[in-house]
Amino acid sequence: MTAHDSTLRLYVYDHILRHEQTPSVSEIAKALKASLRETRAALVRLSESHAFMLQEDGELWRAAPFSAVPTPFPVRVGKKSWYGNCIWDALGISAMLAKDADINSTCACCNFAMPLHIRSGKLKEKAGIVHFAVPACRWYEDVVFT
Amino acid sequence: MLLFRSELHIDRWCQQWNRPRGGTMTLAQCWQLAREWYADRLSPDWRPKTAGEAQAAFARIGLTGEFWRLSR
Repeated sequence: MTAHDSTLRLYVYDHILRHEQTPSVSEIAKALKASLRETRAALVRLSESHAFMLQEDGELWRAAPFSAVPTPFPVRVGKKSWYGNCIWDALGISAMLAKDADINSTCACCNFAMPLHIRSGKLKEKAGIVHFAVPACRWYEDVVFT
Repeated sequence: MLLFRSELHIDRWCQQWNRPRGGTMTLAQCWQLAREWYADRLSPDWRPKTAGEAQAAFARIGLTGEFWRLSR
């Protein structure tokens, strides 16, 4: 990871936290006074660790734990809200920000409401099981089903 | 990774999607994992965990065994 990559990474998170949405490639390039080519190359490097992942058109798909697109894992922190990529990431948004959060989750099987609340660093709910469909060594071969 | 209300609902989902049953963890373990994984993400010094560091994080919260092994 280059110094520019590190700056870009932090810029993306800062933008998400301020605006509740991921920045476009052109917004990142403009903000960091970099070319689109340099910006795309940096995003590809940052995607090698899977912390960032890109859509087919090169725009951000995820900047973990945040999803750029709506998911079944909406997270509210104060007056702001984001989407987590999965239940791990939804909890990760609260962990990352070290703030109380409400996660409006549901059972993946039947859509039964399973709201989760994190208060003062503690998860209030105990009922519920998290299922990983794919073994850890293959997580990034099929992210959607993992 | 998805949240389910019970083991029965995991089985139903696997049947519906024609997928073998995978690995499970409790919500408490998932919260621990989220903290292990993301607490330092806004640090300017953040770097991706090595496979060894990630495996150690899994072990700390009780995720051991073949399903949770990161390298083949």
